Amino acid sequence: MAGKKTVFVDSDILVIGGGFGGCGAAYESRYWGRDKKVVVVEKANIERSGAVAQGLYAINCYMGMRWGENEPEDYVRYQRNDLMGLVREDLGYDIGRHVDSTVHKFEEWGLPIMTDPDTGRYQREGKWQIMIHGESYKPIVAEAARKAADAVYNRIMVTHLLMDKKQPNRVAGAVGFNVRSGDFYVFQSKAVIVAAGGASHIFKPHSAGEGMGRTWYAPWSSASAYALPIRVGAKMTQMENRIVLTRFKDGYGPVGAYFLHLKTYTQNGYGEPYEPTWRQSIEDMVGDYVNHEPVPTCLRNHAFLKEVEAGRGPIRMVTKEAFKDPHKEIVGWENFLGMTIGQAVVWAANNIDPKEVNPELVMSEPYVMGSHATCSGAWASGPEDYAPDEYQWGYNRMMTVDGLFGAGDTLGGTPHKFSSGSFTEGRLAGKAANKYVDDLGTNTPEISEEEYLELKEQIYQPLETYRVGRNEITAGTVSPTYLLPLSGLQRLEKIMDEYCGGVGQRYMVNEPLMTRGIELLKMLKEDLKNLGADGLHQLQRAWELHHRVLASECVTAHTMFREETRWPGYYYRGDHPKLDDKNWHCFTLSQYDERTGEFEMEKAPVYHLVDDVKQAAE
Amino acid sequence: MFDINPFAELSHSISPAIMQGFVIAMAVCVAGGTLYDVIHKGSAKYFFGLVKKGAAGKTREVPFGEKVSVVAKTTAHDVLASGEFCNVRRRLAHLLTMYGFLAYVIATATMVFAYPTASTPAPALLVNVWWIGLIMLAVGCYWFWFFIRVDVAAEGNSPFRMVRADLFVVALMVSASLGIIWGYLQVNGNFWSTFALGLYLISTTVLFGSVIWSKFSHMFFKPAAAYQKNMAKADGGRRNLPAPSDKPSIYGKVQRHSHHY
Amino acid sequence: MPTFVYMTSCDGCGHCVDICPSDIMHIDPVTRRAVNIEPNFCWECYSCVKACPQNAIDARGYADFAPMGHSVRVLREEDKGTISWRLKFRDGREKHFESPIRTTAWGSIKCASEYEIPSNEAINSQELAHEPDYLKTDQGLPSVTVDHFIKYELAPASAAKKKSKKVSAQAAE
Ligand SMILES: Cc1cc2nc3c(=O)[nH]c(=O)nc-3n(C[C@H](O)[C@H](O)[C@H](O)COP(=O)(O)OP(=O)(O)OC[C@H]3O[C@@H](n4cnc5c(N)ncnc54)[C@H](O)[C@@H]3O)c2cc1C
Ligand code: SF4
Ligand code: SF4
Repeated sequence: MAGKKTVFVDSDILVIGGGFGGCGAAYESRYWGRDKKVVVVEKANIERSGAVAQGLYAINCYMGMRWGENEPEDYVRYQRNDLMGLVREDLGYDIGRHVDSTVHKFEEWGLPIMTDPDTGRYQREGKWQIMIHGESYKPIVAEAARKAADAVYNRIMVTHLLMDKKQPNRVAGAVGFNVRSGDFYVFQSKAVIVAAGGASHIFKPHSAGEGMGRTWYAPWSSASAYALPIRVGAKMTQMENRIVLTRFKDGYGPVGAYFLHLKTYTQNGYGEPYEPTWRQSIEDMVGDYVNHEPVPTCLRNHAFLKEVEAGRGPIRMVTKEAFKDPHKEIVGWENFLGMTIGQAVVWAANNIDPKEVNPELVMSEPYVMGSHATCSGAWASGPEDYAPDEYQWGYNRMMTVDGLFGAGDTLGGTPHKFSSGSFTEGRLAGKAANKYVDDLGTNTPEISEEEYLELKEQIYQPLETYRVGRNEITAGTVSPTYLLPLSGLQRLEKIMDEYCGGVGQRYMVNEPLMTRGIELLKMLKEDLKNLGADGLHQLQRAWELHHRVLASECVTAHTMFREETRWPGYYYRGDHPKLDDKNWHCFTLSQYDERTGEFEMEKAPVYHLVDDVKQAAE
Repeated sequence: MFDINPFAELSHSISPAIMQGFVIAMAVCVAGGTLYDVIHKGSAKYFFGLVKKGAAGKTREVPFGEKVSVVAKTTAHDVLASGEFCNVRRRLAHLLTMYGFLAYVIATATMVFAYPTASTPAPALLVNVWWIGLIMLAVGCYWFWFFIRVDVAAEGNSPFRMVRADLFVVALMVSASLGIIWGYLQVNGNFWSTFALGLYLISTTVLFGSVIWSKFSHMFFKPAAAYQKNMAKADGGRRNLPAPSDKPSIYGKVQRHSHHY
Repeated sequence: MPTFVYMTSCDGCGHCVDICPSDIMHIDPVTRRAVNIEPNFCWECYSCVKACPQNAIDARGYADFAPMGHSVRVLREEDKGTISWRLKFRDGREKHFESPIRTTAWGSIKCASEYEIPSNEAINSQELAHEPDYLKTDQGLPSVTVDHFIKYELAPASAAKKKSKKVSAQAAE
């Protein structure tokens, strides 16, 4: 757009997204690269941006090696078990061996971690979780990142990565626009670390009015972490592995502390236990995996879903007993106030006091992310000291594009990282990126003026489309020539819900449905050329939609490719209703070709830690 | 020049009665606009409802003596010192504008009614107050408009963008500026003074005539709102807010600006 | 419960505009006061509520599923390192909670560059900053070797020749 300034920023290491992965990357990049220029670019304000805006009440990934509580191997087994066998065990081990030092640093920085009065150790919520007073978790971590970085650019929506014009398949920077001033930003960097969080609003949420804002994952998790690397041809993995969460109804309040610490349990609408009822049906689908301890998250969902379909809902959390204990009551409420305030509001509004009422649970719409009980994301290189050859091409946490690193929700194959693991992965990426930059020497990447000018044109197009198209109509939101971002988003959510296994279809999908879904996504993608934005805020929404649509195409391609039902309770392939280890005990990989708009799919092997293979054979 | 009464100079060409009529008309505009706001929009009704609702939430009876002290404190801190503004520059600009405006309006009315002609010379002090008030008003407005406006500071909007929220402050700024220009030309007997007077009168008419559409009448609620807020603290209702923690203040604060982009 | 702003409390300082992760707190062009312009993108994260120096922002449960008449308000006192909550149910019952939010002074974190410059050996090792000390074990950084990893072999048909497949999502030009 004419009249908008272009601002050039040079850096050695560019961190895209100032959430948990990004803050870890900034800290570590500075620690190892004292002479490097480290720049963080964030679409909101780093003080409160990302999934941890509200705070957290638990750190869900902590080994406790100092007290002999868990070893990295135990963590790998837990990840593998919960994800039905398919995780990048090399990456998981790496998180496990480093995460404790991250948590100890958080404590030193001022994060209040609760301690067990009897043992003096961190207060365990469960085997992997420790309890914190984490209202200011994000401001504390942001303080460390702000001090570490040469500059933090807030309110800049990154829209595209830039590639090197000298050497193919090498990243050279990124472009975006300032949501306040409208200025166009061109970042040139030797290494780029993407840490832009996961994806909500891919699938239609339960609530369609105001309540669509109360998704489980944050509404600002806009799939940028996937769309940015996908567009430049980085390989993605396990994008079909979307997650469905069992949560308290309407507010999506977390259940972890209730199950693990408060020892509450679930019942059907008639006060009966229901999980045993469905054990056989699970075994018929997944065989031996039914015996895993703890029961994989998706399989517990399956029992919930089946019980409700059998007409015995609603499923409730039995809290009345536990909440008689005043300590447990405080924990129950503070757990929400610390990380999902909306749930406390829902209960206050409905006069639900869990001391007197057993609150309802619900199964959420699906989400695409890579740090919870799910592992969608980019395919990344493993640690230098032990990763198998097929998992390694030089630098830890580097994607299949040279110089492009990732952390947190961005990277695939490593579930159960949560906040501490995402920050740790950012640290790993930061150290590796520093080494990559050192090794480049003078062979540095260069951006292409032609490319960024062309992108600039595209980026601001929705403002122009709206400005001109607006003359056609008297007033209102209905136009035959432009598409408002909200309309486009709702169209995407409806397609994904109906054709890719959303909550409206009870998570059921098959090849004919997805074939039609892909046709509909294609038309939506064509229509994105007509997005209209009435200002910079809507321009941000327009680019968030672009990112969500590209990620959704990738999710659909992966779901189509994996011809089995690996995670019943997350989604079901009606045409391949069983788990199939013979043919599908592997990762799915995709690579996008921007010229043709096609995803090239392939399988990649799963490697397991050897002592466990032995144990399995015995 | 700051001790010459421009209205007395003007009385050679315009009769004091007309000037007095204009001042009265402006006062009627403000009163009418404010009444319209209060009655038609129901703002007063809302406000009394709020007080009643607040009273329902109270946890203690506030003794009469304490009520008096709340009123006194509110008057001193919130009303007279614009204590509600957390930004120091903003608070200073607001105080300049507020006291400048009051001085200018009161001095204008006094000069026009009590010392209308050259034969009834106004005390030098009064004339000084008129000039100083007008200049304070203009400085406060300019400072706010060019350097402090939140839609420019926090939103990054163009400083040249004008929206309805600007109606009041822009009218005030233009009116004050033209007042200074006219006063200067008038006391120097400049040929252009009549032209400046015309613009000054037009902008002043816009300022006071637009009360219905501008944010002017909201000003009258600010003291009442401040009083209600402070009473709610005293009676324990606290507008449903929790009571402050009794932990010691030892961790300092983070310096924050309202623009981070 | 999207947020809303009390007209008589907001002084238009802009802190909420600055903090909102969803970019939906903006300054209204008529009142020059803050307003939530897109309640359906509000996560009720309370970032703006906590940041408002006037306590002018409150929240009302999402219209789709929250009956009216409740209140959940908060006071975040940075200098005391506390957060205090007051919940009011629709039927008037109240609950109060207070938690610590930080155990050190704001701004006290030691910058990553204030530590001793790491050695070349450390740079080329697998250790991250402050390791192995901060693992707080005396074992050093755990590791395994590559021969600990065993490939899971798929059924021969597809293992011999990696299955490759195109899924078309090409825009029909
Ligand atoms: C309700 C809830 C409860 C949770 N509970 C726990 C818990 O109890 N314990 C625990 O350990 N973990 C918990 N988590 C998980 C944890 O928050 C995440 O694992 C972690 O935040 C992921 O880190 P990230 O860096 O990948 O993403 P984020 O922290 O979300 O950061 C992504 C950042 O990228 C920015 N960004 C996005 N797109 C762009 C763009 N285009 N341009 C520029 N910037 C961009 C975003 O604004 C954001 O700042 C919870 C999460 C949620 C939502
Ligand atoms: S932070 Fe509070 S006072 Fe400041 S603009 Fe926002 S609502 Fe108004
Ligand atoms: S509650 Fe959070 S999302 Fe909603 S307006 Fe406030 S800062 Fe924005």
